[in-house]
Amino acid sequence: MAVLSEGSFARRDRRARMARGVGLHVIVWGGGLLLATFSFAPVVWAISTAFTETKNLYSTPPQWIPHPITFDHFAAVISNPDILHGLLNTVIIAISTTIVALIVGVLGAYGFSRYRFPGRNTLLWSVLFTQLFPRVVVIVPFFITLRHLDLMNTRPGLVLVYLMAVFPIAIWLIKGFFDNIPREIEEAAMVDGASLPRMLWQVVIPMCRPALVAVAMYSFILAWNEFLFALVFTQGADLRPLSVTLGFYIDQNGIQWGDLMAASLLMSVPAVIVFIAAQRLLIRGLSEGAVKG
Amino acid sequence: MLILPTMILIVVMMVYPLVQTVIFSFSSVKLPSLTPVFNGLTNFTKVVRDPETPPLVLRTLVWIGGTVVLRFVLGFLGALIFNARVRGTVWLRVLVIIPWTLPSVVGANLWRWMYQGDIGVIDQTLRSLGLGFLAAEWLGDPRLALFSVMVAYSWQGFPFVMLLLLAGLQGIPRDQYEAAALDGANWWRIFRHITLPSLRGIIAIALILEVVGSINSFDTIMIMTGGGPANATLTFGIDIYRTGFSLFDFGGASALSVLMFVAALAVFVLYGFVNQRAVHARGDEL
Repeated sequence: MAVLSEGSFARRDRRARMARGVGLHVIVWGGGLLLATFSFAPVVWAISTAFTETKNLYSTPPQWIPHPITFDHFAAVISNPDILHGLLNTVIIAISTTIVALIVGVLGAYGFSRYRFPGRNTLLWSVLFTQLFPRVVVIVPFFITLRHLDLMNTRPGLVLVYLMAVFPIAIWLIKGFFDNIPREIEEAAMVDGASLPRMLWQVVIPMCRPALVAVAMYSFILAWNEFLFALVFTQGADLRPLSVTLGFYIDQNGIQWGDLMAASLLMSVPAVIVFIAAQRLLIRGLSEGAVKG
Repeated sequence: MLILPTMILIVVMMVYPLVQTVIFSFSSVKLPSLTPVFNGLTNFTKVVRDPETPPLVLRTLVWIGGTVVLRFVLGFLGALIFNARVRGTVWLRVLVIIPWTLPSVVGANLWRWMYQGDIGVIDQTLRSLGLGFLAAEWLGDPRLALFSVMVAYSWQGFPFVMLLLLAGLQGIPRDQYEAAALDGANWWRIFRHITLPSLRGIIAIALILEVVGSINSFDTIMIMTGGGPANATLTFGIDIYRTGFSLFDFGGASALSVLMFVAALAVFVLYGFVNQRAVHARGDEL
């Protein structure tokens, strides 16, 4: 075996690494730019459409930078009663879903985390199982149920349905946090004479704030964006959330693409903000679950 | 006592609906009272005998397979690219993630607008580049529609796969790579023997989430094509909606739901099986 001096080895290594470094940069930048273009060009087009005058929308070559810039589409959107109704419904439903999901989630998670009772594991897994239900499969069952509960075409009905979609994640995420809180802290609080609700509120909940934030964001986004359930369980412009209003946005002149894109941008803003904030928390939760197996 | 709300939710929104659906699937359902009248296997034999069923199942499988593959290929590429941590690529990553954060309604409408024949930005761009012969009715042509919707759907979902895989990649200890590089392993061997095995758990999770998501997908297809043209994008999910809420055949829709539920259950069981084996495999290595 040839004996290499320390210096020549280092030199060769450095040269190889530099060559690899340059190649790597080219590949990473090229691939990254390509992927970013595929992802972001449509978004740019949506923004551009929303600010382009209708008569310039169909020009060849396409006008990526609107000239002149117009706010007519936004003006049309915020004076459209259907869209305003939809927005109001969406806001009410999303906030209600978030609050109820947090309550059900905290109570359920605490129960599952602290008490052992017969059927506990079955119940815990059936909670997770509901998450894997294809949503299209449950529209008929939920329709029947809502009819029997007299909740068709109501906001509480829709909140109930969304609750069903978010509570498994809520319970599992919060339970994971509760499991890591030492019982001694609660026992100490109990000894000091705190009641269960007070102990939950003042001791346990402040300790699992990250989980609660993640659950709140998840619930809010789901209710904000949801389309299928909203389509099936509400009728008429008065009760429809924004997603359905925009899903079938058409008037006697056909589809006003400029207005539709302007409304879409407005609907996207809250979703994008909350999503970016929640993304790290959710991904971390999922990947940690995967590592634990 | 604390889990009472959970119990009520499960009973009211899971057990009761499931029981009702199974009953409905064996009944003809009278409207508007929704009274079921037992009619045996009629609903199921109708589905099985329907000449439209085999193409429907095939189309749904093509949809699931196509979108999962597209999302995985794009997601994996993105994860590898952004895991290299080359300076200045962080903002590119943000741009790539944006579509995933948009409401599905927005994504679907946006692509519907871009896909418009003649007036859409895709056809306009092709024409201004002198590639006018490639311009097409992306959503109006039955041969193209399913593929067009797949691209739109994957566009919106691949960043999620990317983020999951990225989280997994970043969890692989650096010294493993350094040791392999010192041993003179090339990138393919490193990828094959270090990267892939370490990602097995995450890939399994991403795969199951994507398959369920793809079975679930409704918004994008419904808004972009509504199942048309000429049923070219009619998947199982859209068919359930149509049967139940356009044709008001709740017995038929329930039968379809039961069939699809069983299929989803099979995926779930298969996942449990695969996961179990993965855990075993990991145990053996240790």
